[in-house]
Amino acid sequence: MFILSFLARRLAQGALIVFLVSLLIFTLLRVVPGDPVRLMAGGMAPEALIEQIATEMGLRDPILVQFGRYMGGVIQGDLGQSFVRPASGASTGGASFSDSTRGERAEVLTLIGDTLPMTLQLAALSIVFALIISFVIGVPGGLAPGRWPDRVAFYLSSIFISLPNFWLGIVLALLFSVKLGWLPAIGYHGFAYTILPALVLAVELSPVLIRTLTSSLATIMTESFVAVGAVRGLGRARIVFAHALRNASVPLLNILGIQISGLLGGVLVVEFIFDYPGLGLLTITAVLQRDFPLIQGIAIVTSAIFVFINIAVDLAATLIDPRLEY
Amino acid sequence: MTSIDTTLAPAAPALRTASLSRRIWKQAFASFEFRLGLGVFLVLALAAAFYPEISGIDPTKMVVRDRLLPPMFFGDNWTIAHPLGTDQIGRDMLVRSLVGLRYSFLIGVSTVAVMLVIGCALGMLAGYYGGKVDAVIMRLTDAQLSIPMIILAISVLGVSRPTIPAIILVLGLSSWPTYARVTRSVVMTERKREYVRAAQVMGASNLRIMLRLLAPLILPPIIFVSVLDVARMMIFESILGFIGLGVQPPTPTFGNIIADGRKYLLNAWWIATLPGVFLGLTLTSINLMGATLERARNRVYGGVS
Repeated sequence: MFILSFLARRLAQGALIVFLVSLLIFTLLRVVPGDPVRLMAGGMAPEALIEQIATEMGLRDPILVQFGRYMGGVIQGDLGQSFVRPASGASTGGASFSDSTRGERAEVLTLIGDTLPMTLQLAALSIVFALIISFVIGVPGGLAPGRWPDRVAFYLSSIFISLPNFWLGIVLALLFSVKLGWLPAIGYHGFAYTILPALVLAVELSPVLIRTLTSSLATIMTESFVAVGAVRGLGRARIVFAHALRNASVPLLNILGIQISGLLGGVLVVEFIFDYPGLGLLTITAVLQRDFPLIQGIAIVTSAIFVFINIAVDLAATLIDPRLEY
Repeated sequence: MTSIDTTLAPAAPALRTASLSRRIWKQAFASFEFRLGLGVFLVLALAAAFYPEISGIDPTKMVVRDRLLPPMFFGDNWTIAHPLGTDQIGRDMLVRSLVGLRYSFLIGVSTVAVMLVIGCALGMLAGYYGGKVDAVIMRLTDAQLSIPMIILAISVLGVSRPTIPAIILVLGLSSWPTYARVTRSVVMTERKREYVRAAQVMGASNLRIMLRLLAPLILPPIIFVSVLDVARMMIFESILGFIGLGVQPPTPTFGNIIADGRKYLLNAWWIATLPGVFLGLTLTSINLMGATLERARNRVYGGVS
């Protein structure tokens, strides 16, 4: 029962947040200068034609009217059609605008649906990498506060947090892909193409995890139940891995939930560098092409994902540590 | 606000809290990591401040004869005049990186200033007045925290012209909520203290209490930790530059230098990689300082309460 009321409350809050995000993005996109119709029709199109197209598409109505119409579609699961991309694939726009092509513009939902699994695969792999990195560096650091493993953890996390992700991506691609030829880098033709981008994201993700893990493990190792564990005859490994780490992983999980929202920024850049066909690359091209429906759709989908991740993290935290309240 | 806290106002914290920020500073300064970071940072800052003028090399001037010179000790035609080599049209990489560092640092610092002003002001109001003001401001921060700000930022910068003030404003507006939360929680505990009530009884206005009593006390520790955010914002700025939404060329910034050098990666690896080393070094030094300050703050606060 507890879980149900918790879920209901959080989902209601989440729906409100998604609604606010879409309203905010929608208004912003229409307030800032830059006419998408000008981009679709091309620089040479006469002013009258542009006005005509804009009126036909409803882009000259009041913002609230446009928003109402849009949200009406969203509730029915229709995120609209891309301004620029034809359904066949490659994006056009620019010089050649003709009415006949407008029927074939791609659905925003299918565009997102095609790219989202790729991004989720990338994100999942990078979280796995990040956890491995932070456990390997953070656990020794947390077990020896003030001594050299702790210092190593401190220095490494300081360095990791200082590496700009786009630069790291370029360097890793140059090293592993061009010079050594171990891993493929650009584009996507199989799972191996996920490894390098995921590694870059993992390095970006790990510093905060390392610090959280080190400090929370160090605090927990001073708790009495750890000392009592040794008296009870438990081995050191058992105490550390079964008792201390379990408690130390609650703050880690919370941080991870927050970090995942930060991961999005990294995903944009990393996908852009590696030409990885995911949501991030789609976002950047959508922004550069002023593809309003696509930007809105992406914003709605990502904020919905955030909301779900945060709810899932809170639920998982209570599973690990039943003492926590919802 | 009740009569209870008259009984538990022990050995007035005034003396100890007054020196709080100095103690944090001292603790941090005593550690090797902080000095290392400070040393590296000072060298880089001095270089960025003076080298471009002293060397007299124009960061945007093309010298086709000197194009694609490798950095020192690599290849066979490197020169001492261009320690980090030159790019595809003969611009000196060291000067370009240092000028980029200037912009990056200025944008980072002013962005954090914007964040601090907005976040601390809202947090102060929320914590001081409580009640409805608090509820409204905190819902606002909650909403902002759950919005994918990066999408918002690149949408706004992508469709409008990215000028330096616009970049500062967008980045600053996107990350103030954490400061609002921290300030609010500190103000909420401080405002119940004796000295605040004494000031109220003596007829000080709310504004005066906030600015003259609370702000000098609670802000320094927050500002110490905001050093970490300077580094974060510098990375953000360079990411924007890399995508093409930052400070526009020909002004060199780390982002657009690296984006540019990427095209020549195979025959001139140094154009894209060395500025990144530079940026990484700067950020590491700032992060070392910030992280030691944060640790010192946690230790000092842990000792007091």
